[in-house]
Amino acid sequence: MNLQANTLFSLKGKTVLLTGASGFLGNTFAKALLANDARLIALGRSEKLETNFEQWSSEFGADNLQIHTVDMYDISALDKVLNRILENETIVDVLINNAHELGPNTGFNTDVGTLENATLDQWYRHFAGGLYWPAFTVQKLGVAMKEYHRGSIINISTMYATVAPNPHLYEETAFINPPGYSAAKAGMLAFTRYVASFWGKYGIRANAILPGPFSNTEDEGPNSVKKGDFFLNRLANRTTLGRIGQPIELVGALLFLASDASSFVTGHALAVDGGWTIT
Amino acid sequence: MDNIFSLQDRVAIITGGAGLLGQKHAEAIAHQGGIPILVDLESSNPESKAGVLAKKYDVDATGYITDITKPDQVQRLLDSILEHYNRIDILINNAANNPKVEAGLGQAWSRLENFPMDIWEKDISVGLTGAFLCSQIIGSELARNKKGVIVNIASDLAVIAPDQRLYRHEGVPDNFQAVKPVTYSVVKTGLIGLTRYLATYWADYGVRVNAISPGGVYNKQPDEFVQRINKLIPLARMADVSEYQGAIIFLCSDASSYMTGFNLVIDGGRSSW
Repeated sequence: MNLQANTLFSLKGKTVLLTGASGFLGNTFAKALLANDARLIALGRSEKLETNFEQWSSEFGADNLQIHTVDMYDISALDKVLNRILENETIVDVLINNAHELGPNTGFNTDVGTLENATLDQWYRHFAGGLYWPAFTVQKLGVAMKEYHRGSIINISTMYATVAPNPHLYEETAFINPPGYSAAKAGMLAFTRYVASFWGKYGIRANAILPGPFSNTEDEGPNSVKKGDFFLNRLANRTTLGRIGQPIELVGALLFLASDASSFVTGHALAVDGGWTIT
Repeated sequence: MDNIFSLQDRVAIITGGAGLLGQKHAEAIAHQGGIPILVDLESSNPESKAGVLAKKYDVDATGYITDITKPDQVQRLLDSILEHYNRIDILINNAANNPKVEAGLGQAWSRLENFPMDIWEKDISVGLTGAFLCSQIIGSELARNKKGVIVNIASDLAVIAPDQRLYRHEGVPDNFQAVKPVTYSVVKTGLIGLTRYLATYWADYGVRVNAISPGGVYNKQPDEFVQRINKLIPLARMADVSEYQGAIIFLCSDASSYMTGFNLVIDGGRSSW
């Protein structure tokens, strides 16, 4: 056996902070991190995080796991939670900015979310999720990363940061992908490069993952899609691989960027999109 | 969770496999339980280098002497691999000419104005024609099996231009200054095009095709050069020779099952500022 190989992607001994942990992708990320021996600090907004905690700890044990329920729009509440975390942690090695509100408040799948109708409140929420939460967590956790000369920051963006949603795909569906999402997530890529550029000399890496169509067909929620919906076929046909992605297919990229396997990768936007953006 | 990075029993062809990075790619394959096949010219001694890996990882690694610019030789390579292993899973198009510029004096030939046709043709032949022929002959076999992975080794110089000031030597007249050859940019950028072309071409045949764009590897270059290039890189250093192994494993394994046509840039951030 090659121990070296198995440790290349391992997160053993690393502390990882994941936001949006109770979401559709967040739940898979959390499990993947725990399965690869990370110590996980999971932040989430909803009570669902408690249910997730029960599931995760029964599968992986609770020793490496802590959760914090917080509404991140309340920056002072977020500040308090992060301060509490930092009191107990020498360093958070990996920061994963995954939280984003995908619902009517951010203009998803509602007529008031279109380019013509989008409201200032929706735009502010995108600004918060795509830009300010990452900026704030990076500032808070970056202090120790700089001091200890290590750290990996992973921002979860979207393919819609580099290509626009094609309105034809959304015709005659109830789905709307709002302009603030594309704009804020594209800004997130600029922020990612900025961090990579300014903190590279401290050994801190910052990268983004750009997921393609990873429709939530599992839960009933404001942004989920029912299995068998023709919209899924449209999305699948738009990709090169001819199918939508399964959340587990983001795990490889996440572990690659979080671990030392990517020690020379920084400022990069890694697309996991089934080839959507190459055609 | 299964080990999504496993390459257990997968047979991987690495062109230029006896070179500095080629050997490291091969080692990465072996690390994960795969079987690396080092393809190179006789002068690079792929057989003995495969032998070292075979011993170290207790794996049936072999070396093949092949000129990848010759279709009949690539066909013969495929035939012997299928005969011996009865399978082929991965093709890494890694071979390319990459003459040392950093140390170079008396390399006025490398300047665009002087660039010799025969070197242009040789570089294109190894870097692009070789990758095309291996994709055509070996990639078609992957497509027939409806499963496989191709990884093309491009370069940060497929994403950005060479900064020729890096290679300057004090006191040498302008028209004698060595430069990074034009073929390097052309070959490496061409490989990105090949990557995207093959990705859509074979998407329905279960063949995923991606590229990596590595930056420069520290290999005892002169201090002055290293100091200059470090200033161009946010991480403020060149890569260690082993730092591309993670990406090779990621792209060759099922860990990247939803990626195709992508260029994974591994340049310490050089192209991001």
